[in-house]
Amino acid sequence: MSAQAPARVESSGRGSGTWMVVPALALLVLFFALPYLSILTMSLREASTRAVYADGFTIAHYTTALGDGFIWGILGRTLMIGTIVTVLALLLGYPVAYHLARSRSRWTSLLYIFVLSPLLVGLVVRTFAWMIILSNNGVANQALRGLGLIDFPLQLMNNTLGVTIALTHVFLPFIILPLLGNLQAISPDLAMASRSLGASRLRTFLKVTLPLSLPGIQAGTILVFVLSISAYVTPAMLGGSGGRTMSVLVVQYLIDSFRWPAGAALAIIMASVAIIFVSLYLRLTARAMRRLP
Amino acid sequence: MTALTIDRVNKRYGQLHILKDISIAIREGEFISLLGPSGCGKTTTLRCIAGFERPDSGRILFGTRDVTAALPEKRDIGMVFQSYALFPHMTVAENLAFGLEARKIAPDERKRRIGEVLSMVRLEGYEQRFPRELSGGQQQRVALARALVIEPSVLLLDEPLANLDATLRDEMRFFIRDLQQRVGITSVYVTHDQSEAMVMSDRIVVMNAGEIDQLGAPREIYERPASARVADFIGRSNTLQGEIAEALGGESYRIATSSGAIGAEGPSGLSVGAKVQVMIRPENIRIADTGEARHGDNLISGSVVKSIYQGNANQLSIRLASGDEMAVDVSGRTLIEPDAAISLRFAPGDAWLLAS
Repeated sequence: MSAQAPARVESSGRGSGTWMVVPALALLVLFFALPYLSILTMSLREASTRAVYADGFTIAHYTTALGDGFIWGILGRTLMIGTIVTVLALLLGYPVAYHLARSRSRWTSLLYIFVLSPLLVGLVVRTFAWMIILSNNGVANQALRGLGLIDFPLQLMNNTLGVTIALTHVFLPFIILPLLGNLQAISPDLAMASRSLGASRLRTFLKVTLPLSLPGIQAGTILVFVLSISAYVTPAMLGGSGGRTMSVLVVQYLIDSFRWPAGAALAIIMASVAIIFVSLYLRLTARAMRRLP
Repeated sequence: MTALTIDRVNKRYGQLHILKDISIAIREGEFISLLGPSGCGKTTTLRCIAGFERPDSGRILFGTRDVTAALPEKRDIGMVFQSYALFPHMTVAENLAFGLEARKIAPDERKRRIGEVLSMVRLEGYEQRFPRELSGGQQQRVALARALVIEPSVLLLDEPLANLDATLRDEMRFFIRDLQQRVGITSVYVTHDQSEAMVMSDRIVVMNAGEIDQLGAPREIYERPASARVADFIGRSNTLQGEIAEALGGESYRIATSSGAIGAEGPSGLSVGAKVQVMIRPENIRIADTGEARHGDNLISGSVVKSIYQGNANQLSIRLASGDEMAVDVSGRTLIEPDAAISLRFAPGDAWLLAS
């Protein structure tokens, strides 16, 4: 019997097909890198009352913003909403993805549609629906009052709670779909092998399925986190002043107050914080996944 | 002593009746193969034994313990899969430790048993490798070691060699059989490969469409198949239509066929006049003027239609006077002219009756 490990398959044709990335790369440079560059320069310009910005350069917008406790508060709230939405989406989405990956029932296709349904309705329409449900005279409060559980309406919107509920709803598919792909690639034989070796369902999940689904968890949580902290319409419509996030604040700076350079600085701060968070998270999860193939 | 009893087990999926009243009694230390085409119920039977399927009716006993309702993790089984099913995020040692940890075996004892079983499968020194760093054959040996290290009461193997290439598969057959004999573990082996079942098993369960066609030792199944279906599934065979002309006592009969009267053996108790099929294996037929004829041999004449030279053997196709064609295997050295008239001979003991 051969005692040698199989030869590692060399990645063939290094450099072949490089031209295929050109269209996507061009698109990214044109519509992503260039605008960001222009926002970055704008954030370093002096403010002007007559034009979008004046000729001179300054870092005053950054120092002002970073010295402002109000902005730190909104930044903190944005990150907190992002974290809570991500955790909730993971807790709600994992069982659904697991079920979809393992079930062979003909009702699964119906469940697929349910999963995708938040994406099938326009953003604004969906947010209005949440307003109808969550407002003081909304469906939720009326139901609770009808059941005699409360005497006065609960504050379900115009705060972080409403934003969190609505964002979790809309971003659920973004964690379910990567997880689903990941879980489907895990052979059901592995769970059977684990049980045959004497591990309970729970132990099998914790020791086998969960570690192997970390790549899906990683991809899904990053997607949901990034989408949540950069969401605009939902916090703008459901957040009020109590649920204001960074993106809402940036738009208020730009549109309402016409403070383009300062708004640009806020946008850059937000993007930098997001990048720092995501790279820290990637590092942390990479450690947990270092044993995976 | 009976180690594993499958007692009148039925299983349905909706309208499909997958297992129809399956009963098998497996002795301590016995190697049993469940053999049949895909969809015959062999894998479902194995999963019922493992506890991943629950029979609709019937019982499964490990020794005298009724495990019909027990969870897989409570059954004390070792299982080997076609896909190996090694945990990809664990090293070989961790894969082997998995079942021992679930059984709360102390670390020292764990280490000792892992070392022991790794030397049994000849993979000493591979403890720190990951499954992806091993060849298919090595992975399957680790899977085997993982199933054996917990010292289960039954070893279940689900087509474990199907993913290996032909040479390695032949080697692994003997490796698994040898290991099973040394450990003395009761084993149930699922396969669709009849030669695999033949060389490895103490007894074979031939299954078809949820039923057991025949249960017996390999020799019995090959030489004394219970039906034409079993005869066809295990090896090549010729059949002649006939009618019982005379019962000669015991298993001996005289059969009237369109190619003349021949002597044959069959299950005792067949009555004169009954329609039967006479089954003769190609390798048991000889050319009449070669070798030593024995008294009582059957003689049939025909002409050579086709001769396929295979080196060690010549596969002949012979057309009988009745129009039936017969496959005959002769030594590769025998020179055969096409269209030549030929006379064939076979012993009555090599002609077996199948009720039609």
